[in-house]
Amino acid sequence: MEIAKLLASKIRRKIVAFFHENQASIDTPRGVATWIGEDRSKVKKALEELVDAGVLIAHRSSSTSGYSYTRNPRIISKISEIIDESSTA
Amino acid sequence: MHDQKKEPTYEKELFERLKKSASLKREEECIGSMIKPVHWWMIEHINPKTAEISEAIACSCPHLKRSDTAKKGRCLKEIHRVIRKAADTKTLTRFECKEGLHGFVYPIAQGDKIYGHIGACYRKREAYPQILDIFSAFTDTIVREAQKELELSKLYETIRPRAIALSTVHTVHRLISSTLDLNELLPRVARLSLQIMRANRCSIKLMDAKRKTLLPKATVDLREKKSRLKKVKIGMWAPGKAVKYGRPVRGDDYLATPLIDEDVIGVITIYDKIDKKPFTAFDQEIMSTLAEQAVIAIKNAQLYKEQERLTMGGIRSLATILDTRAPHAYIARASFLKIAVTMAQEMRLNLTEVKSLEYAAILHDAGEILIPDEILAKPTKLTEEEYEMVKRHPAAGVEIIKHMKALRSATPIILYHHENYDGTGYPKGLKMDQIPVGARIMAIVSAFESMITKKPYRTVKSIDESLEEIKKNSGSQFDPKLVDVFMRVVARKDIRSMLEKELYGNS
Repeated sequence: MEIAKLLASKIRRKIVAFFHENQASIDTPRGVATWIGEDRSKVKKALEELVDAGVLIAHRSSSTSGYSYTRNPRIISKISEIIDESSTA
Repeated sequence: MHDQKKEPTYEKELFERLKKSASLKREEECIGSMIKPVHWWMIEHINPKTAEISEAIACSCPHLKRSDTAKKGRCLKEIHRVIRKAADTKTLTRFECKEGLHGFVYPIAQGDKIYGHIGACYRKREAYPQILDIFSAFTDTIVREAQKELELSKLYETIRPRAIALSTVHTVHRLISSTLDLNELLPRVARLSLQIMRANRCSIKLMDAKRKTLLPKATVDLREKKSRLKKVKIGMWAPGKAVKYGRPVRGDDYLATPLIDEDVIGVITIYDKIDKKPFTAFDQEIMSTLAEQAVIAIKNAQLYKEQERLTMGGIRSLATILDTRAPHAYIARASFLKIAVTMAQEMRLNLTEVKSLEYAAILHDAGEILIPDEILAKPTKLTEEEYEMVKRHPAAGVEIIKHMKALRSATPIILYHHENYDGTGYPKGLKMDQIPVGARIMAIVSAFESMITKKPYRTVKSIDESLEEIKKNSGSQFDPKLVDVFMRVVARKDIRSMLEKELYGNS
């Protein structure tokens, strides 16, 4: 999915903004839900959608999954543009 | 975090917050309506220069704008005196300027601290003292409110990144402590380190104490041009130095952090940040925390491996003892173990379940030791009584191993590996999912092993004949889903070749 379309969802946008601001962060669905103040099950679904789109990386183990920000400079720069546009709008 | 830009002082921030305060504006409007016309002004410094006063007041005072230089100077001097007096007394101080306007200066203060001054110049008549008292009381409340807001915001700015970092550390801890397999653990630690440091390469080396070298165990290299994995002598290069001195070694494009337990057991080295910035003291702190967690996980995995080796040694010794009775009956061929373990992995069983199957694969027929030799070696059909004795061997096998705690998880596999999928097996006549998955796997592997190895009571079948026989019994004797997995596993080139080599001595 195109990044701009992906970020049309409020939860996905909040998750991406969180990881864009904290690029060294690795967190569980519960942690991310706490930071952005959203429901954990909705966050979990959105995290997987962002992994499928290549915006996040999933680190899976038998007991939990951790999510971190993409390393792809093209995606990061595109997200940066979208976030900057929305903050100046 | 690493920005060199000078942070504004607390006083400056509070003053700026007050300047923009909606509450203060409302108060000025309210009080202003009682003493109008009024010109409000604010000055940041406790003891401001006259130029600063001039700039702050001139924009609101029409008289000061018009005054000639001498008059202006006298006026500013007077206001300067009042500001100093207000700062000394920390109370609202009135004045009358040279243009005949009345006014007051109120110090923005909390305790001994003065953050600036609010001033007002108004009409020729003095304001009622009660109005000014109300102004003082309200302003104090507004200052306290602004202070609390500022402190809360500062607390949020300070605590949030630390809380996020702490949460990251906690997540990493959970991710790395969930595996006891070193081959899985070390690459995972390397990948997580890269992610946290936003770097391009991570290498984990562990100590080879005998040779005094560091051996590369895991490397994740995301650059196009990859480096060759190499041993490093202790004391050489950044990893070797970190190990030698037992402390991190940091350069612009590398950070080597020793893995320290009671002694140094290895080193994690990170290279090349994505943003090309140098590694910082904060990065070093984060990597040291991660290294502490990695050490615990590595030690646990090493201990588990050691315990695993001891358990396997015990099982193999037991199998050797049993084998003296019936040579080659208990020493499981590596290929059968490999088939059983690979099937378990294909079925996504967890590490403990896979291990249990491996143990059971070696000892599944241990109970046969209690069956008399003449029955085991009988080439003709068994009598009913003899067959009843044979049927007791799974339970007898469990009796033999029950005192070994490490083998407890293997007992259901040993006990039920002669159960048939359609419920016609023994000892309990369980069927389908009632039979533990490990026992269903063992049933196939054990039957296959029995068909292709020499037994007194049956002729040896070839590998392909045995596979046909297994297929024929899919759904009756064996779980059809597992038969499919078995067929896939045995068809694998490496396993087929291993099997042929063990059975016929070629590949």
